[in-house]
Amino acid sequence: MKFQKRLLRAEPNFQILTKLWQINWLYVLLICALAVVGYGALYSAGGGTSRPFAGPQSIRFCFGLVMMLCMALMSPAILVRMAWPIYIFSLVLLVAVLRMGHVGKGAERWLMLGGMQVQPSELAKIALVLMLATWFHKISYRRMGNPLRLIPPALMVLVPVALVLKEPNLGTAVIIGTVGASMFFGAGMRLWQIALVVLPVPFLARIAYSHLHDYQKARVTTFLHPESDPLGAGYNIIQSKIALGSGGMWGQGYLQGTQGQLNFLPEKQTDFIFTMIAEEWGFVGGIAIIGMLLLLIFGGMLIAMRSRNQFGRLLGLGISMNFFLYCAVNLSMVMGAIPVGGVPLPLISYGGSAMLMVMFGFGLLMSAWVHRNATFGETTGEDN
Amino acid sequence: MSNPIHDRNGRSEQASLPPGGSLRTLMAQDRMHARLLFLAGGFFVLFSAISFKLTLATIIRPMPPQQQQIAPQVPPIPKSDPKGIIAGDTVLPQVHRASVIDRTGQVLAMSLPVAQVYANPLEMIDPTDAAHKLKSVLPTLNEAETKRRLSLNKQFVYLARDITPAQELAINNLGIPGVYFEPGERRRYPMGRVAAQILGGVDIDDHGVAGIERYFDRRLDTDRTPLRLSMDVRVQNVVHDELQGAMDMFQAIGACAIVMDVHTGEIISMVSLPDYDANDFGKAPPDSRFNRAVTGMYEPGSTFKLQTTAMALQEGVAHIWDRFSSIPIKIGRFTISDMKSDHFAPWLYLPEVMAYSSNPAAAHIALDAGAARQQDWLRHMGFFSRVPVELPEAGHPIIPSLHNWGVSTTMTVAFGHGVAEPPLSIVRGTAATANGGFLLKPTLLAHDSAPAVPGAEPAASDADIPPDAERVISAANADILRKILRLDVVKGTGQKAESPGYYVGGKTGTAEKIGPHGGYLKHVNVSAFTGIFPMNAPRYAIYVMLDSPKPTAQTHGWTTAGWNAAPTASHMITRIAPMLGLFPDTQHTAAIEAELAIPMEPAVPRGYRALGPDYDPGTAHLHEHDHEHDAPARAARHARTPRDATDTAQITDRALHARNDVRRTPAQHPRDRG
Repeated sequence: MKFQKRLLRAEPNFQILTKLWQINWLYVLLICALAVVGYGALYSAGGGTSRPFAGPQSIRFCFGLVMMLCMALMSPAILVRMAWPIYIFSLVLLVAVLRMGHVGKGAERWLMLGGMQVQPSELAKIALVLMLATWFHKISYRRMGNPLRLIPPALMVLVPVALVLKEPNLGTAVIIGTVGASMFFGAGMRLWQIALVVLPVPFLARIAYSHLHDYQKARVTTFLHPESDPLGAGYNIIQSKIALGSGGMWGQGYLQGTQGQLNFLPEKQTDFIFTMIAEEWGFVGGIAIIGMLLLLIFGGMLIAMRSRNQFGRLLGLGISMNFFLYCAVNLSMVMGAIPVGGVPLPLISYGGSAMLMVMFGFGLLMSAWVHRNATFGETTGEDN
Repeated sequence: MSNPIHDRNGRSEQASLPPGGSLRTLMAQDRMHARLLFLAGGFFVLFSAISFKLTLATIIRPMPPQQQQIAPQVPPIPKSDPKGIIAGDTVLPQVHRASVIDRTGQVLAMSLPVAQVYANPLEMIDPTDAAHKLKSVLPTLNEAETKRRLSLNKQFVYLARDITPAQELAINNLGIPGVYFEPGERRRYPMGRVAAQILGGVDIDDHGVAGIERYFDRRLDTDRTPLRLSMDVRVQNVVHDELQGAMDMFQAIGACAIVMDVHTGEIISMVSLPDYDANDFGKAPPDSRFNRAVTGMYEPGSTFKLQTTAMALQEGVAHIWDRFSSIPIKIGRFTISDMKSDHFAPWLYLPEVMAYSSNPAAAHIALDAGAARQQDWLRHMGFFSRVPVELPEAGHPIIPSLHNWGVSTTMTVAFGHGVAEPPLSIVRGTAATANGGFLLKPTLLAHDSAPAVPGAEPAASDADIPPDAERVISAANADILRKILRLDVVKGTGQKAESPGYYVGGKTGTAEKIGPHGGYLKHVNVSAFTGIFPMNAPRYAIYVMLDSPKPTAQTHGWTTAGWNAAPTASHMITRIAPMLGLFPDTQHTAAIEAELAIPMEPAVPRGYRALGPDYDPGTAHLHEHDHEHDAPARAARHARTPRDATDTAQITDRALHARNDVRRTPAQHPRDRG
C-alpha cells in the first residue's frame, strides 16, 4: 500500500513495538491515576454505587486509553494529513448542532449521533489545535512575520468560535479562542502583531457584553455578587462554597460529604465534581488533585519543548493549553472565582464527549512525544 | 500537504549540525522555548491562585451553611430566634410583642414563642404510627382522638396548640410527613398574682384587653424594647403579703394598697385584693379582675378632712389657731356628730379637729369656706375627674350634682361622705400635702432617670418634682399640713400606723357602706389609712384600705381604720422602707419630733381675730340657708325624702347617715373614730 510504504520510508527505524516502548508511560500512568480518582469521585457522587456514573465512565476511559495509545503510534505525517478532514468534520458537526441540536439548559450543545450524545464543540477544540499546528508547521517560524500568512489561521479560529457562540456557549467559545490565540503566540507571532490584536480587545468585550444573552449577563452579575440572590442563579456557587468550607482541612470522609451526599450540591457528577472531592477529602485531597493536573500540564509543555519540530511543539502547546483551560475554568468556577459555565473537569467529571476528546488530545500529545525527533514538511524559505 | 515527507536538505544539514536543524532553526527553537516557558509560568501562576482560593474556601474562610441558603431543602424553621434580644440580665426570646418589666428589670409580662401543630391527613402515611409518635413528644395528647383526626378525609386538622420550641423540634425530628407548624406566641406573666390587675391581659390575638397591656397595646406591638414600669416587685410582694394577711385577719371582702413616690408620682406598688393569677386572666372572676385602686369608688371618709383643712388653710379661711365647734349639727332628721364630743371642750383648735377627726368641726370649716370654694378646690385637686393614670380601667368618681351642692352637701363632703373617689385620687391628694404642695400625675411608668435598684436612689427632694407639676398648696401651708398629719399619728386616730424611726404621718378614714336597699350599714365599714413616710423628709405616700373588715379580739370589737388599716400600713412601712433605701432613724428622734411638732392649742398671734365661739360666720351661714328656700336648701329637703330623690340627692342623703356613730356608746375608745 502506498500509505504504508510512505510511512516506512519516513521512519525506517521505527517499528510498532519500538514506538510502544517510546511512549511516555509515566505520563500514561498519571492519566490513569487521575481517571481512578475520577472513578472514586463518581462512585461517591452516585451515592456509593458505580451504577449511574462511575461504571459507564470507566468503560469510556478504557476506550479512550486504547484510542490514545493508537494515536501515539501514528506518525506526524499522517496526523498532518488528517488535520484538514478532521477540522472540516468538526465544523460540519457544529453547523449540524445548530440545525438539529438537542437543546440542553438553554443552549444547543448536544448532537444525537447513533444513539450517542456528542458535543461537537469538544471535537472542535482538538481539531483546531491539530489544524493550527499543521498550518504553522508548514509556514514555519520564519514566515510568521508576514501578516497575510496569519489571516487563514485566524479564520480557522474565528469560524468555530462564531459557530459555538451561536449555540450559544460563551465559555467554550472563549476557550477555543484562547487556545487558538495561545497557538499563535507559541508559533512565534511577532510581538507587534500581538499588540495590534490585543489592544482593541477591551472595546470588543464591551460590545460583546451588550449582545450577551440575559442568562449570560446574569452569570456575570451573580459572579460579582453571588450572595445577593442565594436561591437563584448564585445558588450553585454558594452551595459549592459551603461544601468546600465543610470539607475543611481533612474533609468529611469518603462518602460522608453532607453537601454532596444530601444533594445540596448541584451537578455534583459533572461541573462540581471537584467540590465533591474537596468536601470529602478536604483541602489535602483538593490540592492533590490540583497538583496532579498541574503535573499533566507541565508534562505536556515539556513534551512540547522536547519536540524538535514545530508541529510537535504546537501540538504539545495546544493540547496542554486546552487541558489547562478546562481545569482552570472548572476550578475557578466551583470556587466562585469566575461565572458558572458548563465546563467539566477533564478526566474526572462524568461525560463521554469530553473524556474521549481529552484522550484524543493526549493521543496527539503522545504521538508528538514519540516522534519528537522527527523533522518533516517545514518550509525553510522566508516570505517577502 | 503536497510534501508531507521531511525535507531532504534539512536532513543533510542534520549530519553536520547538532540535532534540531540549522542555526536559524535553533534560534527559533530557543525563542519558542522561551514562549513555552512563559506560558508554563502563566499556568503555574494561575494554578497557584486557584490553590490559594481553595485554601481560602476550605481552611481560612470557610462559608458556614446559612438558613436562607439551604432553605429550599429544609422545612421552615419557626420565626422565633432562641437567642433573641437581651434585656437587663434576662434573655428574651425573639417575639413580636415587647415584654413588661418592673423598675428593677424583673419580667412581669413576656411573650414566649410557641407553635400550633397541624396536619394534612391526606399526606399522612400511617395515622396510627403518627399518633403514637406524637404522643411520645406530647404527653397530654389524646392518642385515639389524634388518630381519628389524622384519618379524616380533610386537608387541615389541628393536633396541638401552644407547644414549646423544644417540643416543636422533637416533633420535627420524628420526621412525620404531613405534620406542620404554625408559629405563634403566648403571653406569660411569670410573677403570677403580683400586679395582675395592673398588667391586665391579652386576647387570643395578642391584643391587650385590660390594664397596661391595653393602655400600651400599640407601644408593646411596635417597640420591642421592654416597657419599664415604676413598680418594684419586691415592694409589691411585701405589700401584697401584708395586705392579704390583714384581709384574712379582719375577714375583709376586699382590700387595696398603694405606695407612691411623692416627688415623681411613680407608683411603686398597687395591690387590689382579691386578685388572681395573671396567667388565668380569662378564667378570673370579675370581682378579682376589679382594680380597687383605680376602678373602685369608695367614700373617703375622714381621710377627706385633709382636703378640707388644706383648702381652708390655702384659701385663708382658717388658721391653725382658729377653733371650730364640735357640737352636733342637726339638719332635718339627721345629726352630724362625734360620739365623744362631751369628753372635750366643744370648741376644737384646727390641729385638734384633725387629730380627733371631728365631723361637725370639719363641716363648720367647709361652711366657712363655702360651697363654691369647696368645689373649686376639689376640682383643682382632681377629685371631680378620672384619675390620670395609665390604666384604661381608671373610673370616674361619683360626686353630687354641682347644681345641687347645698349646705348639707358642703358639710358632708367636708368629712368625706357623699362623694366616692378611687383610692389613687386620695393618695394623689395626700402626696400634694407632703411634697411641698405640688399636685402630681400618678404614673405607672418608671422615669428614665429612675435607678434600677431603688436602694441606690438618692434621697428624693423637691428637685425631682416634674417641672409641669402644679403648685396647689403654698410651702408654708404644706409644712403645717405635714405636721398635722404627723400629729394624727402621734396623738390622734392613726397612732397604730407608727413605725419606729420612720415618723409616719397620715389620716385614718372610716366610711359606712351603703346597703343593698340604700342607706348606710351601721357596722359595715370601708376603713382606710392614707399616709406619708418618713414625715421628716417625705418620700413615699402609702394607702391601705380594707373593705368590710370584721371586728376581732385585738381590735376590741372595732372595725374602724385606726384598728385595722393603720396597723397594716405600719407593718408594710417597716418591711418596705429598707427595700426603698430608707432606714429607721432612731438616733435623732427628739430633734425630729421637735421639728415636726405642732401645738394642739396654738396661740393666736397679735393682730388676728381667731374664729371661735364669739366669731363664727360659718354657722350663721348654715342657719341662713336653713331658713331660706333656695337651691341648697332644696337639696337638704330632698335628703329628707330619699325614696323620691335623684341619684345625687340619694348620695347626699346617705352622707347624712354617715356621721360618726351617734348611737355608739361614749365608753368606746374615742380616738378610733374615723
